[in-house]
Amino acid sequence: MRAFGAIISLIFLAALIFVLDHPLGILPPIGRFLDPVNGCLTAADSVNKDFSTTLKIPGLQNAAQVQYDERMVPHVSATNDHDLYYIQGYVHASFRLWQMDMQTRAAAGRVSEVVGNKALKFDRTQRRKGMGYAAENSLAAMEEEPRTRIMLDAYTAGVNAYISTLHYRDLPLEYKLIGFSPEPWTPIKCALLLKYMADDLTGYTEDIPLTYLRDMLPEAEFNLLFPERIQGTTPVIPSGTAFDPPSLVTPPVPSDSIWVHFKKSDFDDKRTENDGIGSNSWALSGSRTRSGAPILCNDPHLGLNLPSLWYEMQLHAPGINVCGVSLPGAPGIVIGFNDSISWGFTNNYRDVKDFYAIHPLSEDTYLMDGKPLRYSERIERIGVKGKPTVIDKVKYTVHGPVIYDAHFEGPSRLKMPLALTWMAHKGTNELLALYLLNRAVNYVGYVDAIINFQCPGQNMIYADKQGNISLWGQGQFVNKWKEQGRYIMNGATSSTLWGQLIPMRENPHALNPEQGYLSSANQCVTDSAFPYYYNGTFYELRAWRINQVLAGLHAASVEDMFALQNDTYSILAANTLPVMLRYITTNDNYTLELRNWNYRLDAESHAATIYQIWWSYLYSDIWHDDFGKVPENLWPLPERTMQLLNTDTTLRFYDDKNTATTEHLGDVIQHSYQQTVDSLKKLERTIGLQWYKVKNTTVSHLAKLPAFSYGELKIGGWGNTVNAAKSDHGPSWRMVVQMTKDIEAYGVYPGGQSGNPGSKYYASFLKNWVEGKYYRLLFLANGNEENNKQIKYTWSLQP
Amino acid sequence: MRFFISIFLIALGSMVAELYFAWWSVAVVAFLVMLLFNYPPGRAFLGGFAAIFLFWLLTAFRKDAANEHILAPKMAALFHLPNYALFILVIALVGGLVGGVAGWSGSLVRRMLQ
Repeated sequence: MRAFGAIISLIFLAALIFVLDHPLGILPPIGRFLDPVNGCLTAADSVNKDFSTTLKIPGLQNAAQVQYDERMVPHVSATNDHDLYYIQGYVHASFRLWQMDMQTRAAAGRVSEVVGNKALKFDRTQRRKGMGYAAENSLAAMEEEPRTRIMLDAYTAGVNAYISTLHYRDLPLEYKLIGFSPEPWTPIKCALLLKYMADDLTGYTEDIPLTYLRDMLPEAEFNLLFPERIQGTTPVIPSGTAFDPPSLVTPPVPSDSIWVHFKKSDFDDKRTENDGIGSNSWALSGSRTRSGAPILCNDPHLGLNLPSLWYEMQLHAPGINVCGVSLPGAPGIVIGFNDSISWGFTNNYRDVKDFYAIHPLSEDTYLMDGKPLRYSERIERIGVKGKPTVIDKVKYTVHGPVIYDAHFEGPSRLKMPLALTWMAHKGTNELLALYLLNRAVNYVGYVDAIINFQCPGQNMIYADKQGNISLWGQGQFVNKWKEQGRYIMNGATSSTLWGQLIPMRENPHALNPEQGYLSSANQCVTDSAFPYYYNGTFYELRAWRINQVLAGLHAASVEDMFALQNDTYSILAANTLPVMLRYITTNDNYTLELRNWNYRLDAESHAATIYQIWWSYLYSDIWHDDFGKVPENLWPLPERTMQLLNTDTTLRFYDDKNTATTEHLGDVIQHSYQQTVDSLKKLERTIGLQWYKVKNTTVSHLAKLPAFSYGELKIGGWGNTVNAAKSDHGPSWRMVVQMTKDIEAYGVYPGGQSGNPGSKYYASFLKNWVEGKYYRLLFLANGNEENNKQIKYTWSLQP
Repeated sequence: MRFFISIFLIALGSMVAELYFAWWSVAVVAFLVMLLFNYPPGRAFLGGFAAIFLFWLLTAFRKDAANEHILAPKMAALFHLPNYALFILVIALVGGLVGGVAGWSGSLVRRMLQ
């Protein structure tokens, strides 16, 4: 009897331990996770933690040093390139390992391996896009070039040196929570991360909806609503800039059947939402600044996440002393400055992603120029946690991978097989561009560097200590015939294939223009004088505002630049609200607010909320009945709608097709105002009318855990203002650099240097970012200074 | 007095064990100590419970204090608990439960061997 009791108790104890050591549903293993010694609380860094240490790292060639300033920004000083990138890898991994792991998993379509079935659709999309294929191509190019090979290999070794020191207790919190462990880093992961950025920046196209709309609308109306270039654009490369004579002739439009036409039955009504991303940058010549030195500003708008996309660093070694932001997961500094030059990026948005309709002949072949061609096949094995591996065979054509077909439907359940030709698939070496850019000392060096940057195409702003400013619409583009790739092309004829590449030195650029400033904010790249054809997705509202303000600045200070980056003036509101109010005769509190409004989307403004809600109803009421069923939800741009409201009060689209009566502009405005009033009354009963509460800008943890995220941030602006703080996208790094003798640089990003939610450095910059405040960036003359008061901790690294 | 010594021994032994072994080594320590001390099962449970409960409670409080309550409230929110003190209490209770069951089992095995 006693033996029985003892055995029962032992079984019970073992079962208890077993249960608490294994995940339960969505819960992590309770015992292992809650254990305060080795579990989640190891992430609770002491606020007084002393980061100074001496580390013995066998992979280093020489002794080196990392000095952390009071914001935990590392200033790395090494004696050669190998050690520099080795340490960068080690430092990135020390502070951002889980993020690096997840983002490269996301790029590769390997999220299901760690979170299970719910990510399978996402993973399949990544594989079908050819992300792995693209990364392999670029990796080959990067490994072929000796300088980038050293970068990659040293960086990889540095990350792995850190990973090899880890035990369960040292793992970042998210590993313990989700229940997996870091795997060794490999150079392909760096390539995947760079392709992840290329996808983020060039992945959006309108080819499918435009193909649909072109057949649906009379030509004149199509051109009226969806112009290739909007009237009144203030292009990235200022109008009137002389372009280099083209070395290639624009090819004629092929005479055979080049386009694809959809039937209504190709789609069903399911709609998806798009969320465009953008960025601002500008540079002022010394003639326009108070100091007489150029000022360069950049704020790329990307997803607002924690851990932040960016990690600030200074890298110093013989031949390089550079400061700015890096991407955890890749070596080098992406946006920043060195002793001589500064630079920044905005997305270029020229279309480099085209679709081809494939005509399958059999399971293994498709039609090309009247003959059958064999597909090649790429077997994608997608590991799924707790489930058998999913195998997806992706067919590759001369155009590229078949992204959609009956086995994997496209937007609005499109089943037509479409292959993708995409510049991001090419084996390009953007890392070489960063390597040279980080070391460039003048304009010539700058151009030699960026000429290696092929995809994603970027508007690259430049300023130097010698007083030059420049802007390049940089990237690798194709010499296209008119409208090539704007719509889905017939994939069964070789006449639609991409032709010659445009020599990159012929990319549009401006150097020291007479106007004394240059700016880009994702608007159209050039005026129509540019000799090559291109199309793209361009946005004008922020560019109009930036150019309006810059044109009026003659003795600009860095404070003026701060103000412009945080500017919330809405060009859209200023040009639509007067028209809207013209048709409203009532004088209630809302219209009173609007009539006294300064068109600024400030955080606490009520008028901003009233306008934004009214505008979104009006925009929807005008277009939804006509374009509600368009795949991917493509409607005319807000800026185009704004122009039409001002120039054409009799447009047939103002009529709501779903009613028997004919509505005019006044009717649709009055109707949308009524809807607005109803919404506002509801809001007043709940969260109130303050703009920041209604738009709810949130910086979300990458695993979408609200407990690790920060919502309802008290920040103004929206996508149509320079301070483009939307719900989940916004200025991801605000930088202002004045190119005086001692460079004066300022920056802030919505996050913090540590990726650990338990660290005081996790979101330490967030408050200043919200309030539009900046940090003066510490730039050590020789990469290290013995007695700098701002240095708080030092890592002494020994081989 | 002897009871307090057994509690102290379990706590101390767990502290050392957790430096080298997984979290459930605390159960092994509680089991072994109660095997040696030969208490009735109820008392052995109480001793094991108290030892790990206190060890984990104090460890969690110490870390949370040094962290100035940055992480614990986030963890509480993650598990939908109203405040971080409750989160720390849950930690201690889980530890206590494991220690208690291990102590109880140690006592029963001792009885079987006698």
